[in-house]
Amino acid sequence: MSNSYIITFTFILTAVVALSLTVLRQATEPLAEKNEELFKKKAILAAVKDYLPGGKSIDEFSGDEILSLFDKQVQDIVVDATGKVVAEDGGENIEVAKVWKEAPEKRQLPVYIYKHPEHTCYIFPMRGKGLWDDIWGNIALGPDLNEVVGVAFDHKGETPGLGAEIKDNPKFAEQFAGKKIFDEQGQFVSIVLKKGGAAPGDEHAVDAVTGATLTSDGVTAMLKDALSWYLPYIESVKAGKQ
Amino acid sequence: MEAINIFIKSAFIENMVLAYFLGMCSFLAVSKSVKTAFGLGLAVIFVLGITMPINWVINEYLLSETGLFGMDLTFLRFILFIAVIASMVQLVEMVVEKFSPALYTSLGIFLPLITVNCAILGGSLFMISREYNFVESVAFGLGGGFGWFLAIVLLAAIREKIRYSDVPAPLRGLGIAFILTGLMGIAFMSLMGIDPAAFAK
Amino acid sequence: MADTAVKEVKKREPLLGKKERKLLLDPLNDNNPITVQVLGICSALAVTSMVLPSVVMAVAVTFVTAFSNLFVSLLRRRIPKQVRMIAQLVIIAFLVTVVELLLKAYNYPVYKQLSVYIGLIITNCIVMGRLEAFAMANKPWQSFLDGIGNGLGYGAILITVAVVRELFGKGSLFAGTPIALNIIGPNADYWIDTSSNPWFSWYVNNNLMVLPIAAMFIIAILIWIQRTVNPKLVDAS
Repeated sequence: MSNSYIITFTFILTAVVALSLTVLRQATEPLAEKNEELFKKKAILAAVKDYLPGGKSIDEFSGDEILSLFDKQVQDIVVDATGKVVAEDGGENIEVAKVWKEAPEKRQLPVYIYKHPEHTCYIFPMRGKGLWDDIWGNIALGPDLNEVVGVAFDHKGETPGLGAEIKDNPKFAEQFAGKKIFDEQGQFVSIVLKKGGAAPGDEHAVDAVTGATLTSDGVTAMLKDALSWYLPYIESVKAGKQ
Repeated sequence: MEAINIFIKSAFIENMVLAYFLGMCSFLAVSKSVKTAFGLGLAVIFVLGITMPINWVINEYLLSETGLFGMDLTFLRFILFIAVIASMVQLVEMVVEKFSPALYTSLGIFLPLITVNCAILGGSLFMISREYNFVESVAFGLGGGFGWFLAIVLLAAIREKIRYSDVPAPLRGLGIAFILTGLMGIAFMSLMGIDPAAFAK
Repeated sequence: MADTAVKEVKKREPLLGKKERKLLLDPLNDNNPITVQVLGICSALAVTSMVLPSVVMAVAVTFVTAFSNLFVSLLRRRIPKQVRMIAQLVIIAFLVTVVELLLKAYNYPVYKQLSVYIGLIITNCIVMGRLEAFAMANKPWQSFLDGIGNGLGYGAILITVAVVRELFGKGSLFAGTPIALNIIGPNADYWIDTSSNPWFSWYVNNNLMVLPIAAMFIIAILIWIQRTVNPKLVDAS
């Protein structure tokens, strides 16, 4: 076989393959993008689970219902490190993972305000490191910006059955509802994952994941770091309310 | 410092074979003697160390939205990556043959095998999904390759010895190799709690 | 061209003759890709912690082996020897990208769960192995069947491992699908509630099963059973 045949063959094969993939991607892209958006918005709304319309759980909503609920009820503002609101809209387009890599004082991050008739919730995206890789999540605070409404965590590669329980075990996330991030004096204390179980009545601690000390420590650190970053914003909203 | 951290992590703690099963086929097939395992291991370090930075550059400057073509071409990633790997393997083979016939005779037969070693493509895909920068991906390539090398030489050493043991007939060969790999995986898991950042200080 | 080639085969030979049936069924036992040919153990096993992703993986691998076998067999006289490997890999990578795009569009949660492991089907030696060993020397229809047979043999092991791991590791089966079964666990959601059932109060889920390592031991046991039943497969050395 001659060289020109080899080159023609390779060229035709590559061209056919690249062309058909481009066509297929063009055809499936709208669906894929909608899926991605849905995935993200579902994770945000999962944090306010007790305040969804009709008292339903997030899994009972269809994809379109989630998207329209998000459009109607959620305002996506952008805040900076000093707590100033930089933009009233457009926070949903920010890639939290990317921004998190910047120096803390340079970050501009979204805050999602969920407009419930009686119980406005503030949802803060967070990002941190687990045992193997990144972990992230959303924490929703109630109108007093102190009491936790709910959380939703996710991770890139924690050990299934151990660290991955932060996402897979609904009981873990449920513990957070009703906990408080400020103590009675109004000092910021965050929420800690206690190995061996939190003391009953402790408003600032939940049970750690059994057998996953480093993932649990990662979640504790993530809560503390992320919430301290949002602290100026939280304080300014609180001050505005009084 | 982050690079040293990643090297140690990918070599020991998140070992490619033992934690992710990458490159398991050749790992099991070529681990019958330490000498051949050693050769294949070296070749893997070499190819991983070369392809990782090349694929990083391709992904960053050709495929990404900010790249040369100004549009998101990441759906062509698999094809380009595997083409880079296949041609790099071919290139390495030719260069080695020309300049070091001795090395070629010891590595030669393994080089074509490496194209379909999942560890190579897997390394590139992990590098993308973990968003490493250039230096980090070099460290990840070398560390991952070293971890793979270490694992296959260790397994080959055990398999050389176990030939003298009284293994039940149906388990001989492949069966016992699976069990050994499992046990080695558990042993490597004990390194999990180590914080590589402590080494980097 | 594809159509005529398949039709010719159809005319001359029955669609599913004895030989074709052998092509489909052999890989399930006597020539199983995982336990006998030692192909494709790679990455795919890392997804066997639950049944759902394993089924998706099995279907994806079957699709890729079947169609890459078909395409390569159609082109087998036209592929220049010098670029054989790259041509084969391009065809495989094409099919895997198709799988990835389809999953992204139609089953996003599973796509997220399988993440890089979809891409790794490209280097799954079972695909390349069948191309070299079969498709390069056989007619398209037979090659297609060989691909399906090997995909199924591969899937059978994958799903067996996943059933054991999910049942003993999590106490559930088929979680995430409409027919999810909660079998044994420490609360009332499960059929056997270990917190109240007097016979099973000792039972806890086996955390080893959740780790990828468990797949190694389960396959070793499968090999042990298979070779005890079928002694001609035992390694001589």
